[in-house]
Amino acid sequence: MAAVVTGIGVACGLGHGKAAFRAGLFEAPDLFSELKREGREPAEGEASFLGVEMPELPEVLPTRLARSATLSGRVALTVLKEAWLEADLDAVDPERIGLVVGGSNLMSREQALAARDYAGRLSYLPPRHGHMFLDTDICGLCTSSYPIRGFSMTIGGASASGSVAVIQAMEAIRSGRVDVCIAMGALQDLSAYDLHAMRSLGAMGSARFADKPGKACRPMDADRDGFIYGEACAAVVLCRQGLTSKHKIYGELLGAGHVADGSRGPEPSSAGQVRAAKMALSDAGLGLADIDYVNGHATGTPAGDDAECETYRTLDLQHARINATKSILGHGLSAAGAIEVAAVLLQIREGRLHPTRNLENPLDPSFDWVGGEAVGHEIRHALKFSFGFGGIDTALVIGAPGTGARAR
Amino acid sequence: MDSNQIAEIIIAEIRETVPELAGQPITAQDSMAELGVDSIERSEVILAAMEKLGLKIPMVQLHGARNIGGLAELLLAKSAG
Repeated sequence: MAAVVTGIGVACGLGHGKAAFRAGLFEAPDLFSELKREGREPAEGEASFLGVEMPELPEVLPTRLARSATLSGRVALTVLKEAWLEADLDAVDPERIGLVVGGSNLMSREQALAARDYAGRLSYLPPRHGHMFLDTDICGLCTSSYPIRGFSMTIGGASASGSVAVIQAMEAIRSGRVDVCIAMGALQDLSAYDLHAMRSLGAMGSARFADKPGKACRPMDADRDGFIYGEACAAVVLCRQGLTSKHKIYGELLGAGHVADGSRGPEPSSAGQVRAAKMALSDAGLGLADIDYVNGHATGTPAGDDAECETYRTLDLQHARINATKSILGHGLSAAGAIEVAAVLLQIREGRLHPTRNLENPLDPSFDWVGGEAVGHEIRHALKFSFGFGGIDTALVIGAPGTGARAR
Repeated sequence: MDSNQIAEIIIAEIRETVPELAGQPITAQDSMAELGVDSIERSEVILAAMEKLGLKIPMVQLHGARNIGGLAELLLAKSAG
């Protein structure tokens, strides 16, 4: 049984809500600059971190709740509200609705600020700090604000967390555990500590284009030097097929693959990526020839993009159009998989593919990359990759509305 | 510092913690629970007031106050001791 998507909520550097997301995705404006949020200052004498920070949040929460919730929690509630209303979930039995929040160690920036602020005065630490920095506080905020009474949980997959959440939500629908499951990629609110460590690890870029932030994020380009962070959060509402009328459907989640490749740290594994893709296709009952669009994981790390191109070659994906959403939004880490699934679904609905920014010298020119301009394309079956540190490889097959029944 | 001044400190912290009480009169005779301040918020209010008074004592020593005035009396006694 396929799960269909009936609601989407998004927040990213393009703004809050789908209208800003849709418009910005196809125009691909330059959102990148030095990071300015408190707690993201570089070490003394070192270059600022580059990336994308989202605009001020709309004030949708009661003040009392807003002051006790972290940024990750407040953003989660804004995207949930948008997805909830679009999918009309007030009409669904609360005990048949689940919530899976993708991501772990989500609120490290505010936790680091609290550790700084209460150093030397630990006795006065607000008791609330005993729960507000737990990833599950997002579950608590969401389920106390909306009638979600089936189940709620967080799930970790590093940079694949958003996709792992979608896969978990698919399984909850397929097994019959719930009729509706909301998959969220939560905001990974990075601290200077995280940013510095990932830059020294060689995973995060910004050195080569330190004075040209708009050029720094360049997935699949020969001059890339690491991923560039971008704040994001997204929720997609998955429904059991038949629960809702067809005209409201964005697309169908037809198949999923999720494997462990045996790596410990950030090193990629093309073999694991290929295995995840084949598993997702087999699950969908489709072959590689059926895939007409690939949404890459494509972070812009030197080793990661090389391994991913090798995966595309092994799978003979030369016939498919390919783009990289991170070239526009930056890398949302825990949120990336979910907001990129949202990008795939909006591209299905619009019949267009968004540009890939800064793709001036593609690593492998034999592929049909979408370059600097949006192009018209009716997606039938999309393949969406997401990978995470710790040897986590995922692939999703996402179909246009109505494709699920025919694939079987 | 007398207990009225301490009560004013507590009331200011209540207003900071529960902004929704703006416009509602709060006096030393009110109890935080009856004002709708939940248990985690009550702890936050008390800790913030303790810090303003430079007081470091286990919170359990402040149990038993019936209202804001009673809490102020307890805090005053601990400050003096």
